[in-house]
Amino acid sequence: MLLPKFEFHEPASIQEAIELKKKYRTDARLLAGGTDLLVHLKKKLITTDHVISLLRIKDLGQIKNNKESVEIGACVTMARLSESKVIQENFCAIKAGADNLGTHLIRNRATLGGNVCNASPAADTICSLIVYQAHALLESTDGKRELPIESFFMSPGKTDIRDNEILTGFKLSIPGKNCGAHYIQLGKRKSSEINIVNVASFIQFDPSDQTIMNSRIALGSVAATPIRSFHAEKILQNKKASESLFYEAGEAARHKDCKPIDDFRGTADYRKAMIGVLTKRTLDAAFKQVQAQ
Amino acid sequence: MKKIINVTINNKPCELAVESNQTLADLLRYDFGLTGTKKGCDTGDCGACTVILDGDTVNSCLVLAVQADGSMVETIEGLSNEDGLHPLQKAFVEKGAIQCGFCSPGMIMSAKNLLDKNDNPSDWEIKEGISGNLCRCTGYQKIFEAISSQCSKPNSDINPNINQGGPHGKI
Amino acid sequence: MEKFDIISSRAPRIDTPDKATGKAVFIDDISKPGMLYGALLQSPHAHAKILSIDTSKAEKLEGVKAVITSKDAGSVKYGVSPARYDETVFAIDKVLYVGDEIAAVAAVSLETAQQAVQLIKVEYEILPAVFTVEDALKKEAPQLHENFPNNLCAQVHQEFGNVEEGLKQSDIIKTTTLKNKRQDGACIEMQGCIAEYDVREVLTLITSTQVPHYVQRTVAMVLGLDIGKVRVKKPYLGAGFGIKASANPMELACCILAVKTKKPVKMNYNREQVFMYSRARHQFTHTITTGAKKDGTIIALKHECYLDGGAYTSFGIATVYYTGSLLGGPYKLANMSYDGYRVYNNKPACGAQRGHGAVIARACFEQQLDMIAEEIGMDPMALRIKNMMNTGDTTCNDLNMSSFGMSECIEAVRKGSDWDKKKGNMPKGKGIGMACGFFVSGAGYPIYRSDTFHGTVIVKLTEDGGTALVYTASAEIGQGSDTAFAMIAAETLGIPLENIRLASGDTDMGVDLGAYSSRQTLMTGHATKEAAEHAKQQVLEVLAHKLDIPMEDMDIKKGFIEFKNHIPDFSVLRTRYIKEHRGWTDNPDSEKLTFKEASRIAFLEKGSIVGTGKYKPQLLGGKFKGAAVGTSPAYGCSAQVAQVTVDMETGQVTIDHITDAHDCGKAINMTSVEGQMEGSVSMGIGEAMHEEVIFDDKGRVVNNDLAEYKIVTSMDMPIVNAIVVESNEPNGPYGAKEVGEGAIMPTIPAILNAVYDAAGVRMNELPLTPERVYNAIQVYRKKLSA
Repeated sequence: MLLPKFEFHEPASIQEAIELKKKYRTDARLLAGGTDLLVHLKKKLITTDHVISLLRIKDLGQIKNNKESVEIGACVTMARLSESKVIQENFCAIKAGADNLGTHLIRNRATLGGNVCNASPAADTICSLIVYQAHALLESTDGKRELPIESFFMSPGKTDIRDNEILTGFKLSIPGKNCGAHYIQLGKRKSSEINIVNVASFIQFDPSDQTIMNSRIALGSVAATPIRSFHAEKILQNKKASESLFYEAGEAARHKDCKPIDDFRGTADYRKAMIGVLTKRTLDAAFKQVQAQ
Repeated sequence: MKKIINVTINNKPCELAVESNQTLADLLRYDFGLTGTKKGCDTGDCGACTVILDGDTVNSCLVLAVQADGSMVETIEGLSNEDGLHPLQKAFVEKGAIQCGFCSPGMIMSAKNLLDKNDNPSDWEIKEGISGNLCRCTGYQKIFEAISSQCSKPNSDINPNINQGGPHGKI
Repeated sequence: MEKFDIISSRAPRIDTPDKATGKAVFIDDISKPGMLYGALLQSPHAHAKILSIDTSKAEKLEGVKAVITSKDAGSVKYGVSPARYDETVFAIDKVLYVGDEIAAVAAVSLETAQQAVQLIKVEYEILPAVFTVEDALKKEAPQLHENFPNNLCAQVHQEFGNVEEGLKQSDIIKTTTLKNKRQDGACIEMQGCIAEYDVREVLTLITSTQVPHYVQRTVAMVLGLDIGKVRVKKPYLGAGFGIKASANPMELACCILAVKTKKPVKMNYNREQVFMYSRARHQFTHTITTGAKKDGTIIALKHECYLDGGAYTSFGIATVYYTGSLLGGPYKLANMSYDGYRVYNNKPACGAQRGHGAVIARACFEQQLDMIAEEIGMDPMALRIKNMMNTGDTTCNDLNMSSFGMSECIEAVRKGSDWDKKKGNMPKGKGIGMACGFFVSGAGYPIYRSDTFHGTVIVKLTEDGGTALVYTASAEIGQGSDTAFAMIAAETLGIPLENIRLASGDTDMGVDLGAYSSRQTLMTGHATKEAAEHAKQQVLEVLAHKLDIPMEDMDIKKGFIEFKNHIPDFSVLRTRYIKEHRGWTDNPDSEKLTFKEASRIAFLEKGSIVGTGKYKPQLLGGKFKGAAVGTSPAYGCSAQVAQVTVDMETGQVTIDHITDAHDCGKAINMTSVEGQMEGSVSMGIGEAMHEEVIFDDKGRVVNNDLAEYKIVTSMDMPIVNAIVVESNEPNGPYGAKEVGEGAIMPTIPAILNAVYDAAGVRMNELPLTPERVYNAIQVYRKKLSA
């Protein structure tokens, strides 16, 4: 399959990159890992006159540990995320998503920024970023912007990123003690899957009496964008963790929060039912983590 | 528009001009005649075009040739030398891990990279380490045995229930 | 049993060092000086009249060397079986599916060729299209082929014994349905070809095919050329599994472009085109009724099947017969009826794929055997053994089991899987199931009616006597046939395997029907053995004369001449050999006369020592209509046990372990036999679990890549305990028979039976996606609570 002709740019700094983006705006596509962009170009699903590769910009490939928070560069690959100690220790739901994305070959190229900008409702990292309340870091010649990741997605494939902006990375606060999180995806086979549904859950406990102080649950593949399950979270609030509570939360997520569609990967009914199961299981796994602490 | 790149392929540095829309797979196959790197889909789904780029395996059909500027590329042709087959290639031959052979170069590159990074992977890590390389002929079993035999502590007793384990995030 | 030096060993395959190092040449690795690139224009519509085709703009594009349409390709109809030649190279006035070929371009670059294709203007009148069996059979349905009204491509009605009477006598009657989904071959290599037409008007087609011979005949017939002027060669092939077992329109278009431009032309399918061309496993909808006695004796089988065929017949006429005939065994069964219907519709044509026609029928029937066993409280293995055919038995539809180690296979998997301990004692959510199956070792008759030999082989000794060259037109497609024939030749000649060189896959080397119906080991193997025997005999004849020893008193083993009685004085021969090799440092000094010396002497006496071999099966099968399909000189058989885990909340099924025993006759190469078994299991798991070609409402394939069409990955594949059960097949070379397809037969039903054991659900639709299993579990639970 042939790639269409385009002009290739390889800026060495964020400054150079945002200048290029300002110049070409929608005539340019940003290239990170290329595992989606190049496929879409080959299949002629999109066209472009300019491709701006971000891989030479060193800053974008770093994970910075600032003790209270972590900054993940947009071009950090799934493989690097998965290997990173600070991610493993503090953001295991992100690691779980990174470990599940595509295949080992794709994970060596696919980036966190790319996965987010691709804005698929089934994306493997977004639900986890939402439950950790990540902020997207954006930059343009007009300056910098920070957006809560939850309000970043507009519709499938569309984000709140402006034509002259570049996503440079993500900022995440390191969760304190008594927190647990987990991410599970459901597919037809065990590798190289496109999710039927996927769920991430985060819970924080009161250490004195094991009640849930805080929780966030994000559901994938059941709406135009990954969504929060507020009804489920409400059910958990100030309650003691138990299997039946998690089941109840799962049922709330299933019946009240998701609006999936039928497609060739699965029907809406099945997706809803699985949201219930996955919500329950992620909560259960998150709870077990806290217990093990 | 062509760009000049410097790339080291199988330890040989070279400088050449490439089209911006040319992939690394096509560069290797059609410009260098390194046809051991196969194309089974051209969209990153099959792994037949696996090469090692700066120490990591990649689908070379999803890397632009211009992106390889300044990089080290290892292909299947770089594995064997005048002394003969690389031990991993020998294991693939002896264990019957090759049938049609179309996936084999990519599969062997993935296996090599896996063992380069960890000389004694677990059964599960071996399975995962080739999960992006599709094989339609063998059912992976003899491939698995061939790679296992090259671990620093080969495990002759493969866990018969290997399929029941799993990493985080799988149900 | 006979002792062998080479056969039955685990000799490393002769082709794999090249494949391991990337040196093996596949079609896309080849280029020719001055080569042009071809591209196809394919229909975007599922059913439409072609009102006009304007190629003028394409022709004017710089770099374009030829544009061809049906005007150039003509109207010669071709296909797989002459009984259903229903394709032309390019659509003439109607397109019948999304992907139907309309035109082709040859240009100096692929980019230019593809650009030119875009410039061809076609005016269509869109016609109503049908995409399902049900819709295609409706009275008012649009008709695809004039000669086949009601979109009925073929129908079969057979009855053996008296089924109604048999069912009346039965104590237990089970009726179930099973529907699979269209599969794709999903070979990792995509089809490609290069055609070249030389100044002496010889057309050479190098192509990724399983069947050089059939492609040669089709090309010659369609282009109106002498067979002698068409040469078809196959480079290494990225597997076949059936989908490359006939000439494809790209090959024919490529040949026409080469003839027109007098330049080499290369063409490739991309992955999307591979899915459009299809030719893989049909979608079958089976309804089967089985009647049995209380003691487990199977009395009668009533079988109806609808095959979703697609726009053309391809292998379909054979498929629809195989679907019925291969239920005749492996159980003793006196009464069997079959009504099969293959239906045209506006989707790509289905064809043959591993286990041709028989896989889903087997899956449906083997589930019923378990249902019967459960009802009468009998162990499923015991029920099968009770009804099992034995060596020498003939089915009600005249298939003769000249060797049949089926019961041994069952015993092997019983032991291997620890069945007796596990069956009935699996923990919640886990299950164990088993099934049996069998398959032909080569179709009894060629696809076109003919008395042709099915294979011819030449064994030629090099003039120095050291090496034997084996020439065969057979097709190494990854299964290891080259190695098998080299081993057979080495064993027969009595020389080491290193001393064999083999060339295959070229129609100039003889006639061979190719790699399909698991025929090569038995058929080409026979021809190889005969050719090697012929060459050996010529060497021994000369030796007998020179040494004055009767031929029967000599043999060749491990590269040396063996004398039955005493070693004669052969110094004259050795001196003569050495004299001819002055300066050589490795002249023979062994106590025994070497094969090399003997065959050099033979060459000096007779010129080239060339042995020829040939094979065709004896007359097989009954006299009824369709009796030929399913016949074979021998049948391989297998039993499998699957162990699974079902996630009762999500419906996800994990295959934990497979135990597989296969009777392949004598294993020529043990490692290769296991490889075929493991590969068959993986394809069976794919079909059982997640493979499914999905179409949209316009007849376009939705999941036309290897991300969304889900074959088994390393993570899905369980450990397979492959147990080779050897028997001695009287009709096979050295007792050998098939393994390539029989081994897939039990996989799907074994999994289905295991899922039932784990979750209590009988599935009647494949693949077992989590959603399908989940839904079945919900229905089952409702039933339980009601």
